[in-house]
Amino acid sequence: MNTTYLGLELRRFARDRASLFFIGVLPAFFYIIFGATQAYGGSPLGNGNVALYILVSMAAYGAVTATVGVGGMAAVERMQGWGRQLGLTPLRDGGFVLVKITLAVVVALLPVTLIAAIGALTGAEGTTVAWTLSLLAVAGGACVFALFGLCAGLAFRTEAAVSAASGMVVVLAFLGNVFVPLSGTLLAIAKFTPLYGYVALARYPVTEGRLISGDGASLGSDPLWLPLLNLGVWSAVLAVAAVLLVRRGRERQ
Amino acid sequence: MTHTRPTAPPSPAAATGAPAVELRGLTKTFATRSGDVAAVRGVDLRIETGEVVAVLGPNGAGKTTTIDMLLGLTSPTGGSAEVFGRPPRDAVREGRVSAVLQTGGLLRDLTVRETVRLIASTYDAPAPVEDVIDRAGLGAVASRMVSKCSGGEQQRLRFALALLPDPELLVLDEPTAGMDVTARRDFWRVMHAEAARGRTVVFATHYLEEADDFADRIVVVAQGRVVADGPTAEIRSRAVGRTVHATLPPTGRDDAVATLRRLAGAADVTVQGDRVRVVATDSDAVARTLLVELDAHDLEILTGSLDEAFVALTGAAQTTEEGR
Repeated sequence: MNTTYLGLELRRFARDRASLFFIGVLPAFFYIIFGATQAYGGSPLGNGNVALYILVSMAAYGAVTATVGVGGMAAVERMQGWGRQLGLTPLRDGGFVLVKITLAVVVALLPVTLIAAIGALTGAEGTTVAWTLSLLAVAGGACVFALFGLCAGLAFRTEAAVSAASGMVVVLAFLGNVFVPLSGTLLAIAKFTPLYGYVALARYPVTEGRLISGDGASLGSDPLWLPLLNLGVWSAVLAVAAVLLVRRGRERQ
Repeated sequence: MTHTRPTAPPSPAAATGAPAVELRGLTKTFATRSGDVAAVRGVDLRIETGEVVAVLGPNGAGKTTTIDMLLGLTSPTGGSAEVFGRPPRDAVREGRVSAVLQTGGLLRDLTVRETVRLIASTYDAPAPVEDVIDRAGLGAVASRMVSKCSGGEQQRLRFALALLPDPELLVLDEPTAGMDVTARRDFWRVMHAEAARGRTVVFATHYLEEADDFADRIVVVAQGRVVADGPTAEIRSRAVGRTVHATLPPTGRDDAVATLRRLAGAADVTVQGDRVRVVATDSDAVARTLLVELDAHDLEILTGSLDEAFVALTGAAQTTEEGR
């Protein structure tokens, strides 16, 4: 692993104030508004409480925003000539990918760590197993969505497209049952959207699959295979799209 | 991989003195929506170590595509490219060849020094970062963001990056494009110093003047082919051809112009009133045809400028191409 390259990438990220805000600060702010300061936060839920459930949701949102941004910028950079510059060095494609994946994980850990710290101090509670497994799933699953950013960058080749893809994460988060508990038809549709499986999997250690509704009505629960299948299918779709787009880019060179 | 090239040649070919560059029947065709476009149509070129060679040609002649194949950035559709007897990508990995590319290729949110450090980190034994910054004349702007650097400074940064592996072969693709006169002069002064260290230098340009000032040998490329190749002085004298002016008789003028256009020694034919102007690679042949065959009078032969020379060299290929 080229640690000099990784260090310089982290420095670049720290220089980008707008991304720092959207990735680092905004999800933590959302958690404070919708989780920490709400009366329902203390209600027990599965292996923790509602505050922990919201904490995991917001951490997932922040982590995905981070990986989409890193993946997208990697694609745009490569196509704007940096790929040619690196093509003149001994650095192999695999080495570049390794640096970018590590960067995505480190950047995703920023909102996750911040929210977890705030949550621990403001009433999010759960078993150690629930905390650990949920946060690991948040960080690990977020990597899949680096592919989403990568596809957006490869398809449209501009920084604006990457920003748009990051913005899309908000829409996908609503559709994926991340922010507001959905019910009825919307919930039925949500189960097919990309962020649903990811966030449901990350919540599983807390909820054991139980679905939460806005009004306290019972919505039943998801079996574990459902979020796994959703995440698996979307990973495959994004991976295939990325491969096709890379191939198209090569032919155009 | 270690930086041991002078003592341990990586292949038998290198040990037996393989040329710095060897291109054989190199072709590249791009598939586009409107059909296949041939950018490079069979280039044969051998460059020995220590040569300073200019690849001269107009925009779209296939210079950049040829250089991309020479550096292993693009794979050829046909033929082969070898650098020091090795596949280009291997030569790049060994740090034996590096290049200054035309545009892009820099991250705007790094400083000059950080960019050099980053690229240096990809080599096992790079030249010292500060040393390279000094040699490229970037000392004063080393802490500046790339986005705040002028075009000339960015170009010198690309040059600094190319010096990092201490390459035996340095390839420059239109290195002074977008530079003002002073920056251009400074750049070539630095390049002279590097060439004096015994590096093989290959540079693409569309300025004949640059090729003339700096190269020992000029390879003229047009329409994806090599149309002239030789020592700079020879190409210059061939290129700085002549223009032949004459007055044509009023009858059969169109036929006369058509005859001139078919002539091998005529690169460009223009008519102004009853005067015809021919940019000639072989002015004797053109003059003979005009006087003997076409009954022209008031003939003048003028020595052309460098710009006209360029048209003479590359335009000849153009007319052959159109005539096919």
